[in-house]
Amino acid sequence: MINRESRHQRVLIITLVFVCILLVTAYSRESEGGIFHRLQRFSMDVVSPLQKGVSKALSPIKNAIGFVTDIGTARSERDRLREQVKKLQDEVDAGKDAIRELEQIKNMFKVKEERPEWDLMEVTVIGAPANVWEQTIQIDAGYDDGLQQYMAVLSEDGSLVGRVIVCASNSSVVQLMTDEKSSIGARLQTNSEMGIVKGAGNAIRMELLNQDAEVNTGDMVITSGMGGTCPENIPIGTITEISERRADLSIGIEIQPRAKLSRLEKVIIVLGPAPKTLPIAAGEGG
Amino acid sequence: MHRRLFFFVTLVIALLAQLTIAPEIRIGVIKPDILLVLTVCWALVEGPGQGAIFGFSAGLLEDIFTTATVGVSAFSKTLIGYFTGEVRQRIVSKSVIWPMLIVFIATIVQELLKFMTWTMVGVEEMPPFNFGVIVGLALFDAAITLLIYPIIGRLAARDERALMFQ
Repeated sequence: MINRESRHQRVLIITLVFVCILLVTAYSRESEGGIFHRLQRFSMDVVSPLQKGVSKALSPIKNAIGFVTDIGTARSERDRLREQVKKLQDEVDAGKDAIRELEQIKNMFKVKEERPEWDLMEVTVIGAPANVWEQTIQIDAGYDDGLQQYMAVLSEDGSLVGRVIVCASNSSVVQLMTDEKSSIGARLQTNSEMGIVKGAGNAIRMELLNQDAEVNTGDMVITSGMGGTCPENIPIGTITEISERRADLSIGIEIQPRAKLSRLEKVIIVLGPAPKTLPIAAGEGG
Repeated sequence: MHRRLFFFVTLVIALLAQLTIAPEIRIGVIKPDILLVLTVCWALVEGPGQGAIFGFSAGLLEDIFTTATVGVSAFSKTLIGYFTGEVRQRIVSKSVIWPMLIVFIATIVQELLKFMTWTMVGVEEMPPFNFGVIVGLALFDAAITLLIYPIIGRLAARDERALMFQ
């Protein structure tokens, strides 16, 4: 009985496979107008409205499945974009640094153009003031680079920053003009009235030699060259405030330094002309 | 008579599901072969002879209702229906894992048979062979077996001819 059923099944499978081969052969050999091709086109016409309806009905489920499957893609996309944003941010930062460096070089060239007789050297600031009482910075050049004590130090735009007070072989300390021990010979650019600019912590003040000299806010103060440490005509800053005459008949003149002393990255050392004498003592002239 | 009705109803529902639902639940390019899953389930219930007939019918309908070469799906599904029925006689476990595993293997075999037939016939616009897609399809088919197999098994069990369903 089992054998007969088994034989029957074998006959059946052979027959069906044979029919399939015939169908494949017939389909492959017939033209586009053949019966199977026409049957396929007809069945597509019959089924397409049904497919459209089901597609519409299932669209909310499809969207839900799509949402779930999109999460994985969205996550990897998010990670890729984060990576890309980081890379682009790095590039933007590098670009900004390059622009800043270019600006610094341009400023230095400008200073050099204005003072062709000066021997200048650009150095990097490597240290900020250690405490609030010392208005100094450390730079990455020293004796070995040709630096000497009392050489004038300028900002990148050519404004006065201070002067070198300590020189080591490869580094130096620059006293900012805001340091309370700093005194620099200065004059008003408008009428050449002479005076001394002294440091006052975070600010600088000017003391005029002629107490009756005409002075106005907004006047530019420049170095006078007196004392022999700083060459003349270096911009120091602008007068911002003129206080009332004091008991000793002197007037207090507040100056806003032109150099941005709190944001120094590079400074210019005036190697030549070299300082001729010691700086004016802070206590002098006061 | 009851069995024949069950056969035709299952076949028609499977065809409609294949033509309407399968494209809607596709993942990427992979859409499940519901007709193949039902062929395997049917063969597991009814044995090799009925499995071959169901596979032939399902494959032929698939060929006619799509633009595929008529006879190719019928050929592959006939063989799968028959051999799944043969395998069924050697399985005693009632676990759903077996049908899933058989569907997984059957899907790969079917796709390989299709490519083989297309190559032999010399079909001009043959899709590029991508085994990754075939494995994806096999996994998808195995997954939907988890849903389809218990339904077919329960319906078949009513007729007391099912041998191995819960």
